[in-house]
Amino acid sequence: MDGDPELVGGLVGRCIDAATASVESVERWRRQRRTLDRLPSYLADALLRRIIQRRILLYPSWLEIFQNSAEEIDLKGESSVDVEWLAYLGAFRHLRCLNLANCRAVNNSAIWYLSGMNNLKELDLSRCSKITDAGIKHVLAIQNLEKLHVSETGLTSNGVALLSSLQNLNLLDLGGIPITDEALCSLQVLTNLEYLDLWGSKISNRGVAVLEMFPKLSFLNIAWTEVTKLPYLPSITCLNMSNCTICSIFYGKGSTSAPLLKLFGLGATFVDADEVFSIIDTSHVTYLDVSSSSICNLDFLVKMDMIKHLDVSFCGITDDSVEYIAKAGKGLKFLNASNSKLTSRGICVLAGNVINLETLYLSSTSVDDVAISYIALMPSLRIVDLSQTKIKGFTYESRDNLEKTFSLSLLQNLSHLESLNLEDTLVEDEALLPLVFLKQLRCLYLKSDLLSDVSLHILSPLSSLTNLGFRNAVLSNSGLLLFVPPKALHTLDLRGCWLLTENVFSSFCKLHPRIELRHELAGMVAIDENVSAGSTSLHRTYLTSEVRSEGSDGCFVDERIKYSMEELLGEDEQSYFSPMKESKYSSTEELLEVQPSPGTTLPLYDLSKLPKGAEEERHSRDLAQRHRVRPLSRLMNGVAHQVSDSICMDGADLAAGLPILLPRRPQAQ
Amino acid sequence: MMRVMVPLTHHRTDPIGLRPLYESPGGRRVHIGGGVEEMETGEENTRKEETVKLISAEGFEFVIDKKAAMVSQTIRNMLTSPGGFAETQHGQVTFPEISTPILEKICQYFYWSLEYSSGKETEFHIEPEMTLELMMAANYLHT
Repeated sequence: MDGDPELVGGLVGRCIDAATASVESVERWRRQRRTLDRLPSYLADALLRRIIQRRILLYPSWLEIFQNSAEEIDLKGESSVDVEWLAYLGAFRHLRCLNLANCRAVNNSAIWYLSGMNNLKELDLSRCSKITDAGIKHVLAIQNLEKLHVSETGLTSNGVALLSSLQNLNLLDLGGIPITDEALCSLQVLTNLEYLDLWGSKISNRGVAVLEMFPKLSFLNIAWTEVTKLPYLPSITCLNMSNCTICSIFYGKGSTSAPLLKLFGLGATFVDADEVFSIIDTSHVTYLDVSSSSICNLDFLVKMDMIKHLDVSFCGITDDSVEYIAKAGKGLKFLNASNSKLTSRGICVLAGNVINLETLYLSSTSVDDVAISYIALMPSLRIVDLSQTKIKGFTYESRDNLEKTFSLSLLQNLSHLESLNLEDTLVEDEALLPLVFLKQLRCLYLKSDLLSDVSLHILSPLSSLTNLGFRNAVLSNSGLLLFVPPKALHTLDLRGCWLLTENVFSSFCKLHPRIELRHELAGMVAIDENVSAGSTSLHRTYLTSEVRSEGSDGCFVDERIKYSMEELLGEDEQSYFSPMKESKYSSTEELLEVQPSPGTTLPLYDLSKLPKGAEEERHSRDLAQRHRVRPLSRLMNGVAHQVSDSICMDGADLAAGLPILLPRRPQAQ
Repeated sequence: MMRVMVPLTHHRTDPIGLRPLYESPGGRRVHIGGGVEEMETGEENTRKEETVKLISAEGFEFVIDKKAAMVSQTIRNMLTSPGGFAETQHGQVTFPEISTPILEKICQYFYWSLEYSSGKETEFHIEPEMTLELMMAANYLHT
């Protein structure tokens, strides 16, 4: 659905919504028919996709009704997919595309069912680690297969060599499999290959010579391999040699059939960058990512006239290199120069040249407020990241005149600016004022202890803002409650605002239910918010979450919490609910703070009335715990566990605190 | 030919409180919306511009506002294409594949959709039993 804009919003989308609203709704339309033959395949696919997404496919047998209509199934990451699922999927006559990536339970015997699927063109078995050489034989029967992903499976060189019989393959993803030069050699019959992924393999310089045998190969990934020299491959348009030591690429020229468009060299070590780039024909390269590589000067950019996307982060480039970036000029859309030695002087060089730049990352550089005036000269900017820089938000007019000029006001010139990151800068409250005029801003990230309530309130008029990060700020409870969120806001990140207390989150959530709050303490609130107003159920949820988090600390976990309240109340015929009087304790905190009065104990329940099997277990435990853990814990599902371990409660107080849960015992006991 | 008039109330969830009529298909007609009043034959011609007749598989006729019917891209194309389709001339579209209850729901959706786009936020309820049939019809009608 998400990828299908046509289906969203209209009646078709609403039908799919209604059909997959719950398990019950699926059951209701499913019972009417055995198959969905008349349903167009893309609707069947969308329906099935949604059922899987919502995790309401209770039994694999439900797949059966789709077997004559579905063409594409994506079960990526579904850990429940196992042999039984595949037994049903094997009967899908029209299935063209099956994604089982990350389905941990899929093993060799499960993919036996795939062997008869003659229409299957695309199969993704990535990260199904239980699949080994023995299992891949079943896949060999699918002669029409065109795209096969088996990265990070249990295959070895022997299994990979078998794949050579799949003559129609044009995509083969063998990432993370330790295949050898010999195995690669046996694949050379696959002359239709266009896409070959060999990252992390044991291919060497000797092995890559085979790659010349693939006349259509356009995508090659040999990241994390021992390859240092790559021969000339005329059809390659996209090359990934990340984390390799690169001596030379494309040595020994031949005739060109396609120009290199994308080059990835993340973390690569260039033996001699100038020499490497002097051999490659880089005049058509549009995408270059050499972040974290050993490159420190960008002379080679001179020849890259077409470059659109340039990532030189973590490379230690200096202002001297910027002139080469500037030469890219109008074409450049994306520039990541974060974690480099750039300063405002470098940005000055860029300003007049890269007028079509849309994305600019300058985090962790030495740029300051002067740079903002140059950034403001790049009118197409949509995303700007200035985090961890020296930006203060104001400049002084001159050395003698100490009047402040707010530099962020210059950003008003950027009429397309959607995302601005000013985390960990020196910007203070007053300097944020000019941001109010950035009406089209959708994401704003701030993180600094120089900010206070005032800053948050300044941001209220930003009507397009959907994501706001306001972290590590000195934000008070009242400051948050008085904040009028922008209309469109749906995520508010307040992590690290240490002044805030838990209760403020629930108040804020009540006031603004559609805003998702993030805070170290807000998780608890979220749980509470899901529970309907009843005070007792609120307490229960709150406390069980506590118990869960403490369970790992090795503290005593009461087995008896497995009995539900209904069960236990049902056992005791004589019990009755105490009158529904108003709780003495308004919150759980208070409940837990009840002062112990060691002498008193709660009346115990009649043990004989508990379920038979449980009695023995109960008995032995009770001998040890009787004086501390009250059987009441069974009723409170863990509340008493919490209580008993820390404090001893006064029975009367507890009874008053939990009027609904606590049945009265007859005096006879 | 017998006519059934249904007065217009936009917020009604079930504009046709006339289910018994389904029992005698063919020639029945239901006006949904459009401020229906008693119409003579002559008057009908003048109103043709504003209303459209949608006919279900069982021959049941739904007369609805043209504006509402235009919610469907398919009907819009049929009614506005310059080629001179029969549908364009008579303001009448037959759907031999769509059953009466489904077409009824579709018509309800047309009106609901108009209200929704004018800012009235209500839910359009779809019974799970009819979701699949309705989905196929909606898909055909590009709704």
